[in-house]
Parts: sequence; structure tokens; C-alpha cells
Amino acid sequence: MDIFLQQLVNGLTIGSLYALVALGYTMVYGVMKLINFAHGDLVALSAFVGLTIYTQVFGEGITSLIAVITVFMFTAAVIAVVGVLLERLAYRPLRTAPRLSAVVSALGAGLVIQNAIMLIWGPNMMIFPSNLFPSTIWNFNGIVITFTQLMILGLSSVLMVGLYFFINRTKMGTAIRATAIDQDAAKLMGINVNKIIMIIFIIGSSLGAVAGLFIGIYYRGVTFDMGWMYGLNAFVAAIIGGIGNIPGAMFGGLMLGLFNALISGYISSSWAETFTFVLLIVVLIFRPTGILGEKVAEKV
Amino acid sequence: MKKMLPKIAASVALCSALVTASSAADVIKIGVQAPITGKYANEGQSIDNGVRLVVDQVNAKGGVLGKKIEVVSCDDEGTAQKAAICARKLVNEGVMAVIGSYTSGATEAAQTTYYRSGVLQTSDGTSDSLTKHKYWTFFRNSFQNSAQADFTAKYLVKEKGYKRIAVLSDYSSYAVGLADSVVASIKAEGGNTIYQGKIKSGTQNFTAVLTKIKSMDPDAIYFSGYYTDGGLLRAQQIQLGIKADFIGGDSNDNPDFMKLAGASAKGTLLVNFPTPDFLPYDTAKQFLKDYNDKYGMAPASVWALMNIDGLKAILYAAEQTKSLDTKTISDYLHTLKDFPGITGPVSFREDGERINTKFNVYEVQADNSYKIINN
Repeated sequence: MDIFLQQLVNGLTIGSLYALVALGYTMVYGVMKLINFAHGDLVALSAFVGLTIYTQVFGEGITSLIAVITVFMFTAAVIAVVGVLLERLAYRPLRTAPRLSAVVSALGAGLVIQNAIMLIWGPNMMIFPSNLFPSTIWNFNGIVITFTQLMILGLSSVLMVGLYFFINRTKMGTAIRATAIDQDAAKLMGINVNKIIMIIFIIGSSLGAVAGLFIGIYYRGVTFDMGWMYGLNAFVAAIIGGIGNIPGAMFGGLMLGLFNALISGYISSSWAETFTFVLLIVVLIFRPTGILGEKVAEKV
Repeated sequence: MKKMLPKIAASVALCSALVTASSAADVIKIGVQAPITGKYANEGQSIDNGVRLVVDQVNAKGGVLGKKIEVVSCDDEGTAQKAAICARKLVNEGVMAVIGSYTSGATEAAQTTYYRSGVLQTSDGTSDSLTKHKYWTFFRNSFQNSAQADFTAKYLVKEKGYKRIAVLSDYSSYAVGLADSVVASIKAEGGNTIYQGKIKSGTQNFTAVLTKIKSMDPDAIYFSGYYTDGGLLRAQQIQLGIKADFIGGDSNDNPDFMKLAGASAKGTLLVNFPTPDFLPYDTAKQFLKDYNDKYGMAPASVWALMNIDGLKAILYAAEQTKSLDTKTISDYLHTLKDFPGITGPVSFREDGERINTKFNVYEVQADNSYKIINN
């Protein structure tokens, strides 16, 4: 039993990282019907930006709550700016072009970001300091949870719940939902669509930045090409949950993390990835719009 | 007009052929195929840096057979796909020999191309399968997995007396081969492997498989893969509170292992050929000093040095045979006995295997230094 619960903790930790990244995919898709393939590379970029801010501003060895909060805030801000620039330069000129052009542009933008990371920070693996978070470990009857894991679970839940209320309960959220349903109609209602899209990129990129920093803090080693792996898993999570659907992305991420952990734990870690894609295919066959459904249904 | 085109094309081709022929006459081209970017970048860069250092030294003394050496590098990123591209690129460049690559997988993917083109290749890859074709162009400058596996299993079962050993590898041909050999050798020694599994390199999250291993209550976890995963495995093992010794295969011997594992690195056991600091030879000390003077740091590990020995042996053979014909050099290398290399005497067997069997077990200390703990 404790082994099962331990696998749940393992799965939920990686799952909430996937969920944070998946939100970036799903929000952009919801509004623009575009798969932002550069999103995974933004996640990788955030880890490098965060590490640089930390070592340049605070210096190795200094750890305080203020330092960690500053690193998170500044990194999220930098990545949000990059996300907005990405939209301006790579997607806005193609907004009326066929969808395939925008997807190709997204793939290209991803390569540009990936190679920029390599040119700026070099091709070597960079390693996060181990003392950003306290190395406290709690052990409940054999179920181990670390402070970092708790932070990942806690902060991502807070962000996801906050996002849910922002989208569903605020005026801005209503405008975002309206734009997602029909851009032209939203425009006629006096909604500034460009501004909405900018906000989408700010939120999506900041959430990705938080995920990128957590990846760096939890796993320590970051490489310029790691965005692809996290991006792919998060993309699968977004589709499983129903792309365009915000609770769907959260659910898909957590489910994918759990599913991976349980498959690795009870069948074989060699099969984890195979089963991920079997799950994807099964979901696509029986529920083509994802488990919680794609939001296009509202477009009637 | 239409008929002119082939003629122009032919004359252009002829001109370029003449250009390459004339440039080939006064320089010897040596290729480097290594993971200069990507996960194993610090190993790949060490190989590239090391080769360039030696070539500069040789050129300063007038080169080989009166010719200067030119280095052509190709980045295979440690992948088989890029390795195949590198092989064609380096062959087209007209290299005489290729140093590398670091991973067995990338080496194997390029091997046949070099063989068909008669280009010599020397690699630190330890996969047993690298020498199975008995290509006359291929020379292993390190050791075979099965030799390391025998040593490891004997140490784990006989010296340490582990009763419940879990064996992990990634999916690379090298790591799978080594893990399989270790499991077979443990069995031959009368030991008990309770679990053998694989992790996907680069996925970073290994808690699921480690939790499974924890439920089997092992007293030792052996990992045959590379340091980027090994360091994380060790960190996550300690995090999950698994009280077992962690033993890493030769590819875990890298400073990044210690950085990734952080405080958990202490107490890790690593099995490898003597690391650079422990090499007793004057040539090794001189080389490390020169390397440090030029690049301001030490090579990532002993692998770069093994590749340098491969390069040195090839250049030595060219000098001795007064020939740049790869077949002549190869024939000479196959009979080479105790050439004084940086990593010890270099001798090759008929199948291109380096004759060598010395291994050490290191225990990582609190300050990340190594302590030899076998015999």
C-alpha cells in the first residue's frame, strides 16, 4: 500500500509540472487554434534565465525566501515578454494565413529559441544549486515527500485554481472565453482581440516559466534541448484532457503523470512511454475531443 | 548549349578534384567525431580539445612525415542519426583517420561507413558489438564491456557480499550490453539479481522505477548508463530513502555526476579504468598539465585520454611505416605492442581490441574526490 501511495506522490509531482506546461498549449489553442510548438522551448529558456538571475543577482550559496520569490517573479516576467514577442513576430503576421503556415512558424520559432539557449549558455548541461529550497524530507510510514515536491504540488494547485477563477469569474476571463468562441463576434462586442491574445501569451508563458524553474530546482540538471521532451508530454496531456479546455489541461497533466508512474511501477518503466501513446490513441478513438472535451462545441 | 552543360560540370568537377588532390598532398586530415553539443557535451569537447592539443604539439615539431595535420570536427550529439551524417561528411572531407566517438551507439552507426571508405577509426566505446565485425579499420582504445562486467560482478558478489542486487540501464547499446553482461557475470559468481530494468535517458524523473526497486528491498543498485542519468538516480534514491549502495558503471565517472547528485553523491561507488589523476605515467601528467594550461580545466574524464592514445598510436604507426596508406598503418597497429600511451601501454589484438584489464573501484568522498577502495 505504501508503495502505491508513494507512486501517487511521484506521479502527482511530475503530473503537476506537465499540467502547468499543458495550460500554455491549451490556452493558446483555445483562442488562436494554433499549436504553439515553441512553448516547450520557452519552458527550457525559463530554467536558464532563472539560473542566471539567481547566480548573477544573489550569487551561489545565498538562499532566502526573498531570493527564491524574486527569481520566480523575474523569470516569469522575462518569459512573458519573450512569449509576447514570439506572438508578435512569429504568429501575428500569419494570423490570417492557413493554419499549417502558423504551425510551421511555431516549429521554427521553437528551433530559434532552442539554438539561442545553446548559443548564449552553451551546449553543456547547467546545474541548479541544491540549496534553493530546504532539503527537508518528510516520511509518513514509508511514504516520502520532499519540500520541493510539496512546493511543486502546492504552488501549481494555487496557480491552477487561480487561473480557473480568473477565466470563469472575472470580466477579463469572460472576454478571453468570448474570444475563444468567436474572434470576430468578440471584436464586434468591443473586445480588443490583440490584447486578449497578448494576455493569453503572458499567462501561458509565465506558467511555463514556473514549470521550467521547478524542473531546474527539482531535477537540478538543465539542457538546452530539454524543452522538447516536456513540451511533447504536456502536449499529449493537453490533448488527452481536451485541447482548448483549461480544466482539461490540468486534468490531462495530472493524469498523465499518475499514469506514467503507475505503469513504470507496476508494469515496466520500459513501457511507460508506449502506454502514454496507447492512452492517447484510445482517448482519440473513443473521445476525439479529449476526456473533458474540446471547447469548440460551444461554437454552434 | 545543352551539350555544354555536362562539359562545364565535368570541368568544374575536375578543377575541384585537382584542388582537393593538391590540398590532400601537403596536409594530413584527421577527423574528430564526438558529441560536442547535447547531453554528453563535456566529454565530446574534451575529446575535441585533446585532439587539437596533440595535433598542435605535433605540428609544432614539424608534423608527421613532413606534413602538417589538420583537424576536422563533426558533432554527432551522441546520437546514431547524426553519427551517420558525420561519417559521410568526414569521409567526403578526405580524412585519413577518425577519432571518436564517445558513445558506443554513435560509434557503431558510423563504423561501417569508415570501413567501406578505408578510413581508420579509434573509439572509446566499450560495447562488445563494436569489434564483432572485425573491421580492419576499427581500433578500440578502451576496454570491452564484458571485461568490466566480470570485474564488477566479482567485486559486488565476492568482495562486498551483496545478496540482493538491482541492475538498471538506459536504452543505449552500450548500457544494455554492460547491464546484460553484469547480470550474467553476477549469476556466474553465484550472486542474486533481484531486478533488471531500463530507464529512458534524459527523462529526469526516475522516482517511479526507484519506488518499485524500493519495494524489493535491494542492498545494492548498479547503474550501467551515463552520468547525466546516474547523478539524478542517486539523488532520487537518497530522496526516497532507499538504503542501498549505489554502484555506477564507467560512464558515471564525470564531474557532472557529483553536481547532479549534490550532497547525495557521497558514498557512491564507481567502477572505472584509472581516472586521469590516478594515472601513474609521466606522459599522463605532462598531458594533463598541457591540457590545463591551454583550456584552463581538466579533461572531463579518462575517455578523452583514451581517444588521445588512439590518435597517438595512429600517428606513431604512420611514422614507423613511413606510409599514409590506411591499410599499411592498420596492419602495423594490429601488431603494436606496448606503445607508451597516456593511459598505459597500448597493444591491439587482431580484431582491433585493446589489450587491457585494469579496473578500480572508487568511493566518492564528501568533497567529491575519489578514494580507491579495491585491493
